[in-house]
Amino acid sequence: MSVTFSLNGKPVTFDGPDDVPLLWAVREHFGLTGSKFGCGIGMCGACTMHLDGEAVRTCVMAVGHVRGRAVTTIEGLPTDETNPVHQAWNELDVPQCGYCQSGMIMATTSLLARNPNPTDQDIDQAITNLCRCATYIRIRAAIHAAARRA
Amino acid sequence: MSHHPSPVLLGRRRFLEVAAAFGAVLAVPLDAAIARRGEVAESELTDWIFIDQAGTVTLGLCQPEVGQGSYTVLPSILAEELDADWPAVAVRWVMGRDAYKIQFRNEKPSQKEGASTSTTKLYARLRTAGAAARIMLVSAAATRWGVPPGQCETRDGWVHNRVTGEKLAYGTLAPDAAKLPVPSDPPLKDRSAFRLIGKSLPRRDTAAKTNGSAIFGLDVTLPDMLNAAIRIAPAIGGWLVAVRNEAEVLKQPGVRHILKLDDAVIAVADRYWQAQRAIDLLDVVFSAGENGHLSTALIDNLAEAGLEAEIGVPALSQGDALKIIGQHPDRVIESRFSVPHLAHAAMEPMNATVHVQKDRVDVWGSIQSTDATVTAVAKICGMHEDQVHLHVGFLGGSFGGKIVPAFVAQAARAAKALGRPVKLIRTREMDIQHDHFRPNNKGRLRAVLDAEGYPLAVHARVCGQSLFATTRPNWLTKTPLGDYDESMVDGLYQQTYAIPNFHVDVIQTPLPIPVYFMRSVGSSAGVLFWESFITDLAHHAGIDQYAYRRHLLRNYPAGLRVLDAAAQAAGWDRPAGPDIARGIAFNTYFGRGGSFVSECAEVVELKRVGDRWKVARVVCAMDAGLVVNHNTFNAQIQGGIGFALTSALKSEITFRDGAAEQSNFVDYPLLSIAEMPEIVPVIVESDRPPQGAGEIMVAPLAPAISQALLHATGRRPDRMPFRAEWFQARA
Repeated sequence: MSVTFSLNGKPVTFDGPDDVPLLWAVREHFGLTGSKFGCGIGMCGACTMHLDGEAVRTCVMAVGHVRGRAVTTIEGLPTDETNPVHQAWNELDVPQCGYCQSGMIMATTSLLARNPNPTDQDIDQAITNLCRCATYIRIRAAIHAAARRA
Repeated sequence: MSHHPSPVLLGRRRFLEVAAAFGAVLAVPLDAAIARRGEVAESELTDWIFIDQAGTVTLGLCQPEVGQGSYTVLPSILAEELDADWPAVAVRWVMGRDAYKIQFRNEKPSQKEGASTSTTKLYARLRTAGAAARIMLVSAAATRWGVPPGQCETRDGWVHNRVTGEKLAYGTLAPDAAKLPVPSDPPLKDRSAFRLIGKSLPRRDTAAKTNGSAIFGLDVTLPDMLNAAIRIAPAIGGWLVAVRNEAEVLKQPGVRHILKLDDAVIAVADRYWQAQRAIDLLDVVFSAGENGHLSTALIDNLAEAGLEAEIGVPALSQGDALKIIGQHPDRVIESRFSVPHLAHAAMEPMNATVHVQKDRVDVWGSIQSTDATVTAVAKICGMHEDQVHLHVGFLGGSFGGKIVPAFVAQAARAAKALGRPVKLIRTREMDIQHDHFRPNNKGRLRAVLDAEGYPLAVHARVCGQSLFATTRPNWLTKTPLGDYDESMVDGLYQQTYAIPNFHVDVIQTPLPIPVYFMRSVGSSAGVLFWESFITDLAHHAGIDQYAYRRHLLRNYPAGLRVLDAAAQAAGWDRPAGPDIARGIAFNTYFGRGGSFVSECAEVVELKRVGDRWKVARVVCAMDAGLVVNHNTFNAQIQGGIGFALTSALKSEITFRDGAAEQSNFVDYPLLSIAEMPEIVPVIVESDRPPQGAGEIMVAPLAPAISQALLHATGRRPDRMPFRAEWFQARA
């Protein structure tokens, strides 16, 4: 059995069972390790990728679910001035250990795509990813900064 | 269903990237890594500074980057005295030399990280190394030019001739400089000349940590590597009895081996998801072993019995506290407190990759301790310690949890059995349930007040599992009445408040639970007990909480300065408003083994939102000596308070049938962005060298919240975590 989908704009085929978590298919079979394993139950968001532009938790998403669809990982986002999220994250030096930050950036990018100028309440509701270093103050500031830049 | 797992194939470039990220360096460009393999000669100036002829200055880093900023802060100290070109330097992981070892208390020196000591213990050492190398480079230049060294000056990686205007690059001078003796006592820069230290440098690892390229232990990929998953006997001290369907599981695609350890079963497969699937399929029988009766009720009963014991082992006895308290039973004020075991729960679950070969072992992973890991792996593999090569990259958090190399040992056993590189990843469930936990503790505090309402006599009794007795018996303090563990009375027995008659004693309740240090460890219990009790005393005396603490600190100006700074920044002298309740707490943090002294005061503001009180703002004043990097220091304040708030509101490990009951973020939740308060950092600068800064903001938070709740609701919690009902606002 195999699953063909678009990964960061390129077609890829996963040779394996449909029910393998997308996270591990991407990490182990396509060598993109920027998306992290944190909880395995879809709670922490370290594994967040975009599916057709929407943030999804991929440690609990079967690869079969993305057949024929477009998956974007942290490696697929631009890092130049065209990406205000990345710029804001660097300007405010957000990461500490950094492990959750790929997921945070993916969640933020998705939030800003549907809500270009989120309030603090919008952020509280949309950003449910977890950070044990508690970099939340800089994350919040970076989201607002990215909104201003966009 | 046919399934053909493709073999692990890495292109050469990818392999070199991994090797570059882990073999020698963290995130320097690939070409620098190749250069070090001998294509470009490299000169070594001191144990810390390596300069190649292409001009690349590489600085050694001996303390893992766990998020605290060591990858930026420590090299910047070297670069300051070296006058290196900071944006152009490379940083590489170094190990194995005496220069990289630090000493805690009476242990032999070893390379390790912990107890807020990376900067405190290495500051002078790194400055001296940087200054010595600079002098060597100046001497080499002066000799070439035939001028006195005093005619030379250094800037951004060059030696300049002040008279002629000529200049020579460090890369050109390094081979000559490396032949010169290393000056043992070079003059250091005056603070006023610092260009890097004391500033707010950006982190060196942010770009890699925001584009997905930073390599954590989880991301290590090697040619021919297999992947492993593990299930550990749930009960502490439990063992593996049987694996019933091994042959069937071995037939699953990709599964290579089922390894049975005394207390765990490991599945090794081509892919991690196959290994984890095999573990889930395995029908395993574990015995609960000898601790099947262990439960939180039992742990609590033991500790409570200890609180009632006639005498404890005295950690401090000044004046006549017990006598005074005994003489005035009608005037005794008593409070009791309780804190549970806690799990570290770093975002990156514990993992390690090990490759055992005939004459060497290589270890990669999310590892906070260096020498302890080398020792453990050497023993398992039957090798000498110098045959074990540890490659430390970025750690996805640790907080003390990745010091104990139990997870590395498990990976080493699998790698030894397979003869190929094996990466073992613990699931979140294994990471939490089989952590080495922050110990539990209970406190009973009694006091008699003087005529003004201040403590005349205090007796503090602490009872719980001893961290030192479990992990480091030679750290116990010996007394004629028995041994005590100072970490159980951190924040209590070394007191900067003026208490004329003060008795602190300790009773250990031995438990089989694996425990270890966790960000601020003993203080996170002791300061809760102490500062909450001070809150009770001030409340009883009807004295303002800030004024009460000012009075107690009257003999300790260093602490008073920080307490005042916090109160002033919080506007303590102005009314808080109807929907705001404040609490203030203070702690002098004594670094382990007298390694440093830091002061911290916090003012917490609760805000009423509907029928709830919410932690809305925290003013945090700290004197941790010279702040080497304000950017990372502020991040530590923010993160440390977030960490403390998680413990205060949420964290608790309970035990049943000998096993930890919590296993993932469902039952061991972390703070969310919505719960993160505003934080106002107040840095109280001092002339002292850098003091510990990564842990000191943790302990005062919970008692400050507790006091604010007392103001808001008329009652305060006495048990961590503070459950939601305490935050219910009165109608």
